Amino acid sequence: MEGFVAKQVHDYQNGRISRRRLVEILTLAVTTTCAGKSAGAAEQSGLDAALVNHVSYTCPDFRKAADWYSMVFNLDQVGATARDVALPFGKKGEKPYGVSADDVPLTHIICRTRPLGASAGNGPPRRKANAVIDHIAFTVADFDRERAKAQLAAMGVKNVRDGGPFSVYVDDPFGYEVQIAGLGVTAICGAEARANCSEKR
Amino acid sequence: MERFIADLVQGLDSGKIDRREFCQAVALAAAVYSAGNAAQAQTQRGFKIIGINHMSYTCPDYTKARDWYASVLNMKSEAIRDDGKRANLMFGPEPGKGGSFLVTRNPSSTASGSAGVKPGAEAVIDHICYTIPNWDEARVRATLKAKGLDITGRDGSLHVYDPFDYDVQIASAAEENAFRR
Repeated sequence: MEGFVAKQVHDYQNGRISRRRLVEILTLAVTTTCAGKSAGAAEQSGLDAALVNHVSYTCPDFRKAADWYSMVFNLDQVGATARDVALPFGKKGEKPYGVSADDVPLTHIICRTRPLGASAGNGPPRRKANAVIDHIAFTVADFDRERAKAQLAAMGVKNVRDGGPFSVYVDDPFGYEVQIAGLGVTAICGAEARANCSEKR
Repeated sequence: MERFIADLVQGLDSGKIDRREFCQAVALAAAVYSAGNAAQAQTQRGFKIIGINHMSYTCPDYTKARDWYASVLNMKSEAIRDDGKRANLMFGPEPGKGGSFLVTRNPSSTASGSAGVKPGAEAVIDHICYTIPNWDEARVRATLKAKGLDITGRDGSLHVYDPFDYDVQIASAAEENAFRR
């Protein structure tokens, strides 16, 4: 900024720009810089979500759901109670894939059976949402669509369908839609777009 | 197994067990062995999960949700995938290296192959919890309050609602960990 101002002053003093033009340029520069800082501050004013901690999956029979997710994704079941159980994406002591921080635990699914209006935290009953997570996609290692379809068939999973060339969709025992994809399916290169995506992964 | 059968035969020969008991023992052994093999095979057939790739969030106005998640959880909207009906919001590790994204979409936007919203589904994801590293209780609460959000929950594990009353939990590693339940 300082160098920019110095140059404008230099131009003004050498008669290359008028006083009015100098004022306009510097006013614009100062207000733009200020706006940029405000926008930057606004972007950083939230909390940094590092990873999904858990997905709360509620269904009529949590044991049945847990057994299905354990079978399909090789997940252990830990901390079972009479109404829920957790399925972490790895073993105790492991770090999530791609995470180096020590205070980001393994993502897990909590399969549970409880009323939909159960309390959110220790507050009043959960509100009825006007939005829905209609499917969830899991990243798996060494994904190959045709091999995945064969694996799913061998496990007795029905209604397997293609999700573009780089993923498949299935329904879990309660009709919930689950997508299975590889690491290459990203926010930039989705399962459908990846074939034409310029980013090679 | 061979040793076990040999012992049974010896028992039969020596009269310690009768023919019926022998047959029952062998049948039981076969059933247990078979079940063990099946369980092992099933475990080997499953996928090696790496993480959550994305979550598909359908709501009446994806832009409202997009802006909220970008503002509250610092998710980054990927401009080239914002087509006027949906947006991809990235968070966590880099894309392709363990990063996840939240797809906010209007009801008219359905991914290829997806059945979209199923009114009759028996299961629901009633909330998603996000890990916030370097947790500072006062800072986290102040940040949420500055966004005009009502907070419930306990220290280290808080709940707020997004613009469509979807329950969003944010937590520290100390309070929300599968192995510390």
